[in-house]
Order: sequence, then structure tokens, then C-alpha cells
Amino acid sequence: MGQAATVGDAATPRERVSSAPSSDMAISVRGLTKRFGTFTAVDAIDFDVRRGEVFGFLGPNGAGKTTAIRMLTGTIAPTAGSALVLGDDVIAKPEKVKRRIGYMSQKFALFEDMTVDENLRFYAGVYDVSGAEFAARRRYILRMADLEGREDELTANLSVGWKQRLALGAATIHEPELLFLDEPTSGVDPVARRHFWDLLYDLADDGVTLFVTTHYMDEANHCHRLGFMYAGRLIAQGSPTEVRAAYAPDGATAGTLPSIEDVFVHLVTAHRDRQEDGA
Amino acid sequence: MNPRHIRLLIWKEFTQLRRDPLLLRLLFLMPVLMLVMLGYVVGADVKNLKTAVVDLDHSATSRALVASFEASGYFRIVRHPNDERALRGLLDHGDVVVALVVPEGTERRLRAGRSTELGVVVDGSDSRTASTASGYSAQIVSAFNRRRIEATGVKLQAPGIDARVRVLYNPGLRMVDTMIPSLIAYILLISTMSIMSQSVVRERERGTLEQMFVTPISRGEYLIGKTVPYMLTSIVQMVTVAIVGRLWFGVPFNGSPAVVLSGLFLFMITAVGLGLLISLVSRTRTQAQQTVMFIMIPSMVLSGFIFPIESMPAEIVPLTYLIPLRYAVVVMRSTFAKGSGFDDLAFQLVAMALFAVAIFGVAVARFSKRLAD
Repeated sequence: MGQAATVGDAATPRERVSSAPSSDMAISVRGLTKRFGTFTAVDAIDFDVRRGEVFGFLGPNGAGKTTAIRMLTGTIAPTAGSALVLGDDVIAKPEKVKRRIGYMSQKFALFEDMTVDENLRFYAGVYDVSGAEFAARRRYILRMADLEGREDELTANLSVGWKQRLALGAATIHEPELLFLDEPTSGVDPVARRHFWDLLYDLADDGVTLFVTTHYMDEANHCHRLGFMYAGRLIAQGSPTEVRAAYAPDGATAGTLPSIEDVFVHLVTAHRDRQEDGA
Repeated sequence: MNPRHIRLLIWKEFTQLRRDPLLLRLLFLMPVLMLVMLGYVVGADVKNLKTAVVDLDHSATSRALVASFEASGYFRIVRHPNDERALRGLLDHGDVVVALVVPEGTERRLRAGRSTELGVVVDGSDSRTASTASGYSAQIVSAFNRRRIEATGVKLQAPGIDARVRVLYNPGLRMVDTMIPSLIAYILLISTMSIMSQSVVRERERGTLEQMFVTPISRGEYLIGKTVPYMLTSIVQMVTVAIVGRLWFGVPFNGSPAVVLSGLFLFMITAVGLGLLISLVSRTRTQAQQTVMFIMIPSMVLSGFIFPIESMPAEIVPLTYLIPLRYAVVVMRSTFAKGSGFDDLAFQLVAMALFAVAIFGVAVARFSKRLAD
């Protein structure tokens, strides 16, 4: 069963997996495991995310994506394995890592009963963003989120697209080097989603590493590299093209590669069958 | 621990509190409502009981006896039926709750040096009224007897036992004087528990709690930032109750503020701990509120706050030692009425300290553990 994690190896440049974790990686994970009682939520996963990369973390609900993110953000301690985030051991020094990363979840985590401005002030204080720096960041975020002139509105009264952008602003108020996004676009309409991805690309252009989980397969194509999680294991990884090519039927050309969605369905069904056979 | 983070969290909590008109109203209306309820209704002494008198003797003695009942202030004579048979109807309809029957020949028998009986009928449907009424009647009658014997100038060789009960500490036996000090502790418990648990559960529901622990805010900072605002609101509530109790209800305070404050401080830590524990076992705010109710009922019934522990069945009494409010009630009452000091209340204060350490300790440990999983 442990071998299942190597299915995607064909699509992954070998030197990246075998090399020792190094600091030009934004994230470097080896054997990362989390067990809750007898349930293994994350089962010995290995992967790397390079700095400046947009890394898509895919998988069905309950695959262990959120648990993995919570370990990488220093919120929960892993049962086993190691994780270097921005060159620091997140298990040993979670506080140091937390200052340099950002996190945005599908719940947006804004204080609905506080105004736009109060939310920004709060998160600025949390990350110790000082006065002058805060003024500049605040101006930038209000423009980015299209909320200029609405600073004193209660967050509860904003519609989803604005909330989402404000949440992105709050999560990046301290200009993190690495941003975790846990299904940031669920429940958002396609136009707002497109707009949001434009903002993410802007961040990526500024050199911010993005670690994104998503359900939307079209969004997977926006990523430089992908990792597929299933039942706690990372069952495939590589760039979208690599992943699609690895699962293409013989003789497929660039134009006839299967879609990410096909690959995803293929991987999940293949693994489910294998698990059932094994059981 | 970064003091700036703690200040920020406290500012956030108060900003949110200000925007929650319902919670705010609840915070300040609840103490006032409970004060009025307990001060005027539960704490009201039994007085002016509606009384019917059937005077079959029509003598100076019978009139004097009835007058001394009326003069006591506890009985208000509203009916004078001529016949005992009319009493049943009056009691049944609730027109009166007490009836006195002075039998024919009372004065004659007393003059002859013989004893006679006075009929006192009490409506037992409210046991507190009934027991108070019969107690008062017995006192009035014995006082009446004493006066009568002294008036005749007879020096009794052996006056027998004359019980003269002197009530220490609360001579007026005013319920409100014991009710309001314990109410301070009760309000502290209920409001700290509910607001504390509500605000943590709300943050979990909205995902802001999860967000908080991805940021450099530490668990300790979060806990302090979360508990301090609600400790402050509890203090404001307690001060309100104390001031209204003192000025409006005239509750005397004979104790040392240091003792009261130590007791309340220990109790506040316990209440905050309970609030945190509730937030850990409740997934929604409704569940949290129900859990608060679940704790409130035994606290109210078994703490001696309303029902005296002395009158509880012997099997129940050991249970009362498990109720933290029990100790707080004793501390508040004793300091207010008797001015008890640290020596007198050592048992209660030590028990409260143990509860505070145990409950708060478990709450913080569980809270951190829960966040770590």
C-alpha cells in the first residue's frame, strides 16, 4: 500500500524528490504523517514546492488536504515526518514560520461584525505591521479589493466576491513569502473566480509562492505544478502537462491529452479499486 | 506573550461586543432583571398575609389577641365571618391564607386559670407561607401570654422555659439581605459562562479561530485576549448589582472588601474555566447555551442560593460540595452579614481555589490540546 505514493513518479523529475531539502524550496516535505487515533489523515507524503511556484493541491473531500495545510502552517503537529517551510522546520519553529506565511480559507475568516478597516487593522496588528507600512498596505489592499470608499462598511454587508478579495488582502497584509489558500474560490461565481485568479497571478509575479487547494479542475490548469491527494496519500504530482501526458493513452499527441479532470477521475477510481482489491 | 497582541485582541473583542446589541442588552439587563426578581419577589418577606378571624368569644381578651396579630404586620385581617363553616370557602378561593378561630369561652377559661386553645388554620398550598404563618402565630401567642401574666401581677414561682430567640447578623430576617450578596456570585457565574462560551463558539463557527492560529498569535495571547474582556464585563455587572443592592435595597455590608474580592476572583476564574469547557463540548452556539442551562439548574438548586442546604435530604447534601457556587454563596453571605474574615472562610476559600485551579487548568489544557489536533 505504501508504494501507491509513487504512481506519479514518472511525471516527477527524479532529482527533485531525491535531493535533500534545501532552502530554495518554499516547502519541502518528507514522510509527513498525521494520525487521529486509528485514522490516518495524512499518510507519509513527500513533496517539494519551489519558491515562486503556484502549486495546486487537488483531491476529493476528506483526502487530507486541509490536514496537510494545517501541519504546514504550524497549526497542528504532525505524528511523523518533517516539513521545511521557507527553510525553517515548521515543527520546531512554528512561530518563526507563521510570521512569513499567509493563510486564507474558504470561510474567509473575516470578522463580519467589524468594518473593512477594522479587519485590516486587526490583521496588521496580528502580524506587527507598523504604522507607515500599514498605511501603504491598506491603500494597496483597498484598491486591489475594489473597496476604496467602503472602509467603514461592515464586512457582513459585502457580497462574496468582495469578501473574498478583502480576505486575500487581510491574509497578505504582511507581504508573506508563501500563501496557503484552502479552497479560496468555493461558492464564488465564475467571473469573481477569474478576477480572483488574476489577483493570485499578480502575487505570483511578485515572487509569492502560492499553495492552493481546489475542487475546480479548470483552476488546476492555472497552477505550475500539481499534487493529487487521495485517502491521505499523494498519488501523483507534476506539472499539468506532465500529469496529463503520464495518463494519456498510447499515441496521444499534445492536442489529444486527457484533461486534468479525466486524470483526476482516473487516478481516484484506480486507487479506490486497488484499495478494495487489497482489502 | 506580546502585550500589543493582547491589547489588539481585547480591542477586537470590545469592538465586536459593541456591534452585538442583543448580547450587550443581555449583559446589562440580566443583572437588573434578576435583581428585581430576586429582590422583590423571591427575597420578599412573608408579610400582610390575608387573614380571616372568627371571634366566637366577643370579649376584651379575644379582641386584644386579634389586635396583637394585626399589630405584628404579618397578618392583615380582611374578613370577619361569624361562623367557622364560612372559612373553608374563603381558604378554597384564596380570599384568605390564614384563619384564626377564637373559641367561645376563651376569656372565661383564662380568668378561671385554665388553658384554652386558639385555632390557627393555614393554607398549606404554599409551604413557605404556611410555615412562616404558623411560626409567627406561635410567637405572637406566646408574647401575648407573657404580657397577660405580667399584667395580672402574678409572680410565677417557676416561669418555665421562655424561649427568646435572638437573630444574630440579620435581625430583621430580611431575605433580600442574603439574596443580593449571593446574587452577585450567581450573576458572575451565569453571565461569564454564557458569554465566554458564546464568543469562542462563534469564532469557531466562522473560521476566525482557525485563522488565528495560523497567525503569530499564540494560544496564551488568545486565551488572555479572550477572557480579559469578559472578566471586565463581569466586574461591571457585579459592581452594578452591589451598588443597586446597597443603595436601593439597603443591603448592609459589614465585611472586608479584601475577603469578598478574593472570593469573587477565585470564583471568576472557575466561571471562565467553565465557559471555556462549554465552548469545547459545544459545536454550535445553541448547544453552548443549552449546556449553560444544564449547569445553571443544579447550581441554583444545590448551592443553597435559593433553597437552604440544611433542609435538603441527607443523601443530597454530599452533592452540594461539588457545586462551586455553594462556596461562593457562603462567602458572599457571611462577609455581607457577619463580616467574616479569611479565618472564618478558610474552608470555602480553599475549596474555591481548588475548583479554580482544577477547572481552569483542565479547560486551558483541553483548549490547547483541541487546537493542536
